[in-house]
Amino acid sequence: MTQQQELARPPSRKALFGGMLQVALSSFGGGMSAWSQRIVVEQRRWMSNESFITGLTVARLFPGPNQINMAVYIGAQFQMLAGAIAAVSGILLVPFSLLMLIGMVYFQFHAVPAVDRVLTGVVAAAAGLALSMGFKILDVYWRDPLALLLAAITFVALEVFHIHLIPVVLCLGPVAMLSYWPRGGKRG
Amino acid sequence: MADPGTGLETLLQVIVTFLRLSLFSLGGGNTLLAEYHHLSVDKYHWITNTQFADIYALAEAAPGPSSMIVGLLGLGAGWHHGPLWGLVSGVSAEVAILLPSTVVMVMAALSWNRLKDAPVRVAFEKGLGPVTLGILFSVGLTVLRTADHHWLAYVVSAVVCALMLFTRISPLYFMLVAGVLGGLGLIQR
Repeated sequence: MTQQQELARPPSRKALFGGMLQVALSSFGGGMSAWSQRIVVEQRRWMSNESFITGLTVARLFPGPNQINMAVYIGAQFQMLAGAIAAVSGILLVPFSLLMLIGMVYFQFHAVPAVDRVLTGVVAAAAGLALSMGFKILDVYWRDPLALLLAAITFVALEVFHIHLIPVVLCLGPVAMLSYWPRGGKRG
Repeated sequence: MADPGTGLETLLQVIVTFLRLSLFSLGGGNTLLAEYHHLSVDKYHWITNTQFADIYALAEAAPGPSSMIVGLLGLGAGWHHGPLWGLVSGVSAEVAILLPSTVVMVMAALSWNRLKDAPVRVAFEKGLGPVTLGILFSVGLTVLRTADHHWLAYVVSAVVCALMLFTRISPLYFMLVAGVLGGLGLIQR
């Protein structure tokens, strides 16, 4: 098994920045987590596959964009907060600069009718993407009535009663956690 | 449009707004989209409804994490005061949305394994998923309402949604095709 391979020396901040820059550049067409696994685990051997997978789970659970949280996890393993910042800077530098450039072009030229027409189409497709996000994870909870109830209450609070996101999460988050608090099991 | 105030005022508004929201970006950050729309269009008038829809599409189409839309919102907010204010405000917005969640994530990365069987970890892992699910449906509707006003646009969105669920084709192709259709004048706002 490849996991048995010896790990490399812990990376410096500079190496973390460079490694994550490489991840960002490699994944321009998508598939960022697959690329970061290839580069961080297989090529640079910074961490075992097992701790990489743990990282993916933690990155998904905690607030923040998943891919960026993953960079934070990788950086923090070796150099704490400074390592996390180095890794995030590495992963964001090129795509964020590019996006700022696109944004400046957009704000300069969006009033041009041809640009606006093309964007109208792109926007309709992008809205379809947004709509698919909920459906995508729906099957995970399909057989869990409690989860569906919690999701429905959240949805109604936001859509029907127009309560803002922060109070909704602050109220329903703890309720949801209590509903799933493990019962009975062995406690110290 | 409301009086945008000075560049510095807008910048501070941007920073405070995104610092506050950072820790509520569950489920990868997409849960905040509806809130971004409310704040940047309705409350602070940084950008128009149409611009929000455009920016969302650009962030989805551009390479890299789509959560970088925050940088574009900041850019749009500062743009009223000139391109330089826009850039400063865009970078500040991105730093502000990422800083608090990064600090929490560093603590999580260093301590999560020690909490292996703790009930709080189990409850956290299982409980936040359903709440995220509810938020994402609401976000989907918000973006749809922002983006589409013509029946054909709704059809395009519905088709793309279905294709996202039942195929593994990259969404970039859908945006490309829809962009061409739009360019030909077949899709209207």
